[in-house]
Amino acid sequence: MSDAQDRPVVSPRIDVQFDRPQRRYQAGDRVVVRYTIDECQGDRIHAVEQSMLWYTEGKGEEDLGVHMFRRVADPAMMPPRAAVGDFFAHLPRSPLSYEGLIVKVRWCVRVRVFFEGARDYVSEHVFEVGDVPPARVVHMRST
Amino acid sequence: MNASRTNPFSTRFTRPGRIAPLDGGGEEVDAAALLVRLAAVGGAAAIIGPHGSGKTTLLGHLADAIEATGVTVMRVRSRGRWGATNVLFALVRAGRAATVCVDSWECLGPVARNTLPIVARMLGCGLLVTMHLQSRLPVLARCRTTAALLERICMTLPGHDAWYGTVITPDDVEAAFARHRGDIRESLYELYDTFELRSRTVEMRRS
Repeated sequence: MSDAQDRPVVSPRIDVQFDRPQRRYQAGDRVVVRYTIDECQGDRIHAVEQSMLWYTEGKGEEDLGVHMFRRVADPAMMPPRAAVGDFFAHLPRSPLSYEGLIVKVRWCVRVRVFFEGARDYVSEHVFEVGDVPPARVVHMRST
Repeated sequence: MNASRTNPFSTRFTRPGRIAPLDGGGEEVDAAALLVRLAAVGGAAAIIGPHGSGKTTLLGHLADAIEATGVTVMRVRSRGRWGATNVLFALVRAGRAATVCVDSWECLGPVARNTLPIVARMLGCGLLVTMHLQSRLPVLARCRTTAALLERICMTLPGHDAWYGTVITPDDVEAAFARHRGDIRESLYELYDTFELRSRTVEMRRS
């Protein structure tokens, strides 16, 4: 068995930094993201997919919209030990982030790393768009 | 991800495919053994069990396992007025040596349920279905649920160390299971609501 097969699979570390540390944006704002991929155990990165999307989260059917997507597969941008990249997108007018009881709308940045040998790893980082107040629990009084 | 706001009982964490199929005792299902059994019964069989007992989860898992062996798999949901037609098209398109996986087989009419297995056999195509009650197809697996299974599922959900035993207690899990008579899906929906209300109440008190 080769060394590569003996070695335990460790997830890479993907650090993402937003241009606003609070990760709060408004519709139409420009979101700038910088990411670092580390601890790849020497595995060569084949490609990186950068995306910005919203999705619903709750107890029913789910919905999702990809606002921005880019696949980077240039070997010159894929050093073996660490990869650094950045991307940006202008946010649309809707949907805004919402913290509902039965459904939530979340915006996030996803960085997906593809290693040579078919292994891949996804890292997701949520940010907020708009100022919609979260839903509040209302206790109904029976009459 | 902001884990404190994420409800671990959301569909994205509990939908079929996200949780490995577990048997009634909470142990992982042996997919390889089931595939051997499927081959032994001629490639056509049914997964049976009541609502919310994990049939779709197991079907999806077995479909993935079959696909991993290099066999073409077509997945069909038989609900809706075109259910039987969709299954028939899938069988014809899939052809010899492929397997068609059909969820909610009981939604098809009796004529389709009797005819389609014959069509599959004539085409040399495998057929794996989920249904509530036993039919003419041999039974591959019977899904059953227990409170221990629901508890085990809770332990696989994200961040369970932070909320299990505090926001959601073992008593909540047992009560949800009993209230929904073993329907895991409905129990998870109830636990979603319980989690949401309690975590928000705590947040409101803090603010």
